[in-house]
Amino acid sequence: MTVCTRMRGHLGLALLLLLSAAVESNSMSPPGKPVLLGCRSPEKETFTCWWEPGSDGGLKTTHRLFYERERLEGKHECPDYRSAGRNSCFFDRDHTSIWVDYHLTVVASNELGNTTSDIFKMDVMEIVKPNTPENVTLLVMKREDNLYLHVRWEPPYNTDTKSGWVTIKYELRVKQEKSNEWKEYTSGTETHINLYNINPGTLYAVQVRCRLDHGSWSEWSNSTSVNTPDYPHNEKLFWILVSMLSAVPFITAMCILVMKRKNVKQYLLPPVPGPKIRGVDVQLLKRGRSEDVINALIINQSFPPMVAWKDQIEEYLIVSDDGLLLDPSSSQKRKKSLIIPAGFHLDLGIQCKEPTPVQRDLQKAEERKNEMDNFVKANTSLTEGNLSDMEPPQPPTQKQLFPIASFVKTTDQSPSKHNSAAENTVKPLANCGYVDIQRHENAKEVDVIEVDYSRVKEVSGDNILILQRGNIPGYMDIQRQKENIPEDYSRVKEVDGDNKVLLQRQNASTDSSCREKGNHYTDCTNQKLRNPHVTGPSKVGVCTELIGSGYVDTIPAPPLM
Amino acid sequence: CVGSFPPGLFFSLFMRVGTAPICAYGQAGCHVPSLADLFDRVIQQSSRMHGISSDLHSEFEQYFLPSKNLIGKRKCHTYGILTPDDKENAQRLGREQLTEVILRLLGAWGDPLSQLYRSMSQDQNQDFNHYSSNKALEISDMVHELRDGVSKMADKMKLLGVLGNTVGYISPEGLVPSSAISFYKRGELNSMDHHDLLYCFRRDSNKVKNYLRILKCTTLPGLDC
Repeated sequence: MTVCTRMRGHLGLALLLLLSAAVESNSMSPPGKPVLLGCRSPEKETFTCWWEPGSDGGLKTTHRLFYERERLEGKHECPDYRSAGRNSCFFDRDHTSIWVDYHLTVVASNELGNTTSDIFKMDVMEIVKPNTPENVTLLVMKREDNLYLHVRWEPPYNTDTKSGWVTIKYELRVKQEKSNEWKEYTSGTETHINLYNINPGTLYAVQVRCRLDHGSWSEWSNSTSVNTPDYPHNEKLFWILVSMLSAVPFITAMCILVMKRKNVKQYLLPPVPGPKIRGVDVQLLKRGRSEDVINALIINQSFPPMVAWKDQIEEYLIVSDDGLLLDPSSSQKRKKSLIIPAGFHLDLGIQCKEPTPVQRDLQKAEERKNEMDNFVKANTSLTEGNLSDMEPPQPPTQKQLFPIASFVKTTDQSPSKHNSAAENTVKPLANCGYVDIQRHENAKEVDVIEVDYSRVKEVSGDNILILQRGNIPGYMDIQRQKENIPEDYSRVKEVDGDNKVLLQRQNASTDSSCREKGNHYTDCTNQKLRNPHVTGPSKVGVCTELIGSGYVDTIPAPPLM
Repeated sequence: CVGSFPPGLFFSLFMRVGTAPICAYGQAGCHVPSLADLFDRVIQQSSRMHGISSDLHSEFEQYFLPSKNLIGKRKCHTYGILTPDDKENAQRLGREQLTEVILRLLGAWGDPLSQLYRSMSQDQNQDFNHYSSNKALEISDMVHELRDGVSKMADKMKLLGVLGNTVGYISPEGLVPSSAISFYKRGELNSMDHHDLLYCFRRDSNKVKNYLRILKCTTLPGLDC
């Protein structure tokens, strides 16, 4: 039962479908609703509107456009359906009014009925969009070796830009052939433009568009292209010539270098001198027998310790080991102590050292500039001080004498300092208390043997060094040698005044000889007398006071500067 | 650009145009603006005014579907002023009448725009930001300046003989209903009214701009036309 009704239902449905299909295929219907697409005025004097028709319903359908306008009575029809093409309406000047609202409708009608589109409202003021500019021409120009593009065009067709009714503005864009990017330029109201930043040997494309007042921009004009020329060939030739010419001297220079490479090598990388021992023949060494070599070595050796010592900063004070050399009166006088000749290079050179106390003393000595008119003194008692208690010599020679001054302290210093310094500085002395007065540079050639070394046994007082008389290996020999001293060593007999040291002429190896009064005065005193004009601190301490062995090196000092 | 031109100076320059050529700040030897200069300034000002009013109007368009306007036919309070509605008519009108029309239009908008600004700045709705109400203020000021400027320019034209004497200084009251705003709505304006106002003003400012240019190119034909 149900099957039958269902089947009937299905049949009915099918029949209905067939009927409707039949009706449809054969029927006509009222047209579909057209749609107004838009309007456009190219110059603000005329305008055109376009519509899209709906379905035509199978019958011949006509479309008509009607409009109503502000300040115009009634409904009017489109004046021109043809000029602008199909499905369009063109309003000429007589029918165009600006600043008034148009209400447009399109009516599609066929035999079965009409269909009206929606109302489209517009004001001509709002729909202005000009045509594209015309006749865009592109030229490559050259001015003073500069390439530039000259672009020229004409205003769009039918647009009145002369009366001031509309103000036109142009815009153009440029593209190089390889890139996809356009570069835009505005031109204002001019109908030409020059583009200067262009590259040679490229294809350029240009497009122009325009706008009226504040309306819409037109479409871009068709692309116009031009090729910019490459660099001219004669320029290339010029550069080739230049490079060739410059290559010639370059090549010659290289040839010269190669030919003289030995010289060049010698100039740039001079050979490092090999070690050379004076008097030793390298060839001999290479070839010779051992005896020959040894002989050569020994004979040629002269051992000039003086030369070696000169570089060293060593300073030795020769002091005697009895304080009786000094007059009691002079011992009180602080100013009469070690007179260090100006020329003496009194650099401090104790071999084993504690440099810091010495340097500290150096600084302290520097502070005592005002006491520079004092001479270096030998102290008499150990407790009072030490080597460093000696007062620094005079300012002109200050620099040179400072190192000795490091040994020297002014007597004004507090006893505590003395003691501490004494302790500090005695120690190195205890270990190796060699004191030597270095020979002056201007000194005449003296034998090395004349250098005197003695060991300080003790320091007594501010300014006395008591030297050991004992056997100091090596040095003592020299000292003993010194006892046969050449004439320019003398024993200080007495100190007289600020700047006088009286020397004994005799060589003495014993203490007793020290006490002998000589009949002669030393050269130095003579020398001193010879220079009476030298006064004050500038006086050259030609002689150094010697304590102990009492030898004074009377090498004449150079005049003080 | 006229925008950089202080309104006070603009005003004072125009004030002195008809009299002896004394420059605004009394500088010796400064030159009195020529008619061409005056035209240029006036045209720039009107162009700028139109631009701002267009911007304002399009801002309104975003908020309001113009349904009301589509059906009803809008009327602006200046409809009483007969204006040429295409190029030929404008050119045929003659300089004197054209100048008069311009002055009338400008005079008709002084008061409504001030009211518009006041209404916009007080608007609780806050549909517009501060920027928009500033624009309203700006065009309100501009319309006053422009009216004075054009009238001074007309005086100069009369002086030069390019303009007949039929154009007098027209007081705004004689041209439009005294309460122009009431044309749109009695009572307080709302946003819709703002929109209508702006639509009308946009149109009228465009007219002024176009007429001024026509006037210039018929008086002083040159490269700019």
